Amino acid sequence: MAKKVLNVEDDPDIRTFVATVLEEHGYIPIMAKDGEEGAKKVKEEKPDLIILDILMPKESGIKMYHELRKDASLQSIPVVMLSGVSKRTFLRSQAALTEFGDETVPEPEAYLEKPVEAEDLAEVLKKILD
Amino acid sequence: MKITTMLFVSEFEELWFDALQSLMELRKAGLNHVVFLHVIPRDRVAMKRGSGYLKQEERKLREIADIRFIDWAETLFEEGMEVGAHIAIGNVVPKILSVAEIEKVDLIVTARTKKGKLEEIFLGSETSDLIRRTEKPVLLYNYHSQAERAGENPFERLLLAIDWSVSSEKVLDFVFSMKEAVKRVEIVHVLSEKQIGKLSKMEAHKVERESKKRLDDVCDTFVQERVDARPHLYIGDTEEQIQRGASEHRATMIVLGTRQASAWKEKWSGSISHSLAEKSELPLLIVPAGGK
Repeated sequence: MAKKVLNVEDDPDIRTFVATVLEEHGYIPIMAKDGEEGAKKVKEEKPDLIILDILMPKESGIKMYHELRKDASLQSIPVVMLSGVSKRTFLRSQAALTEFGDETVPEPEAYLEKPVEAEDLAEVLKKILD
Repeated sequence: MKITTMLFVSEFEELWFDALQSLMELRKAGLNHVVFLHVIPRDRVAMKRGSGYLKQEERKLREIADIRFIDWAETLFEEGMEVGAHIAIGNVVPKILSVAEIEKVDLIVTARTKKGKLEEIFLGSETSDLIRRTEKPVLLYNYHSQAERAGENPFERLLLAIDWSVSSEKVLDFVFSMKEAVKRVEIVHVLSEKQIGKLSKMEAHKVERESKKRLDDVCDTFVQERVDARPHLYIGDTEEQIQRGASEHRATMIVLGTRQASAWKEKWSGSISHSLAEKSELPLLIVPAGGK
């Protein structure tokens, strides 16, 4: 059975690009256009993997990632970060959240900085899902 | 009311990261979420004869805004702040109102947009339009004075203009809500020359005494909250006296309320908040009375 991949991304062009890569490699794409919708779809769809942007309306990928990792029912879902925000900033921001009393969370399964080539994205997905 | 979410509207030409950083003092008062908004004017990408919709231009402008917002957001994320961004195409004021609603912001920060005199007479200024239409407090940076003051903490020394109206009460409530970020408050009440001129000497003294008493009471409430506050009673033209008081006491920001008058009424009768919004060199925080 084909695996479901949720892409949380506010840029429609990148959503289209990711959906195309997913379909071409036999995955079922599920799309969310901001962190709030993404958090809702994770609970509804229980995807096999999440591709997550960071700077978005309503809720950032930084916050959504932190919440995913703290939720016992969702923390095992692999996450691939796909963002223009650097990995260094992402890691520092996760550390900054723990300074305010939140628990430390593990790093994501993969971190891709935009722009990403279709083959690179597909390879990362394959490595995690297959 | 707490300021936890702030909408920072930037056209990039007049409101930069140093202005945003100077607002980070608000973290002491509860700010933990910044939402960026950049609006690309429709006429920059709209249909042109012979070339159609400028999709490529739209992509380019979005990319420029996106890169800038990522750069700003990285600093804030690393400080543990929540950051969001919207890049939209259309008219500035409706987009600000819509994003302010979607993101449930507590404060809108924007710069006064510079327009030609004729354009303002016939179309009205976007700043006035925003102040008239929003129910959220608006912190306004002024275009021509921005460069010198952008890095200064605007909450350090406030000049609070009050006239004992409902909107003044809202102003006081709002300033109390961010008291952790404020160092000193100069509380100003202006009696109009006209108003005083009509009274006998005795009556005028009585009005002055009552006003001073009320100002002292307001100061006391601030002092109780450990905010240094001083009362100032002036007589004259309200707008002029507010500007003068701000300059005398080296205020870093002017704070006042506004009553939501119609555009027509405002154009003919004038409004202090709208007029200051156009002229003040200092950042101006306008707190609406609420309810359209």
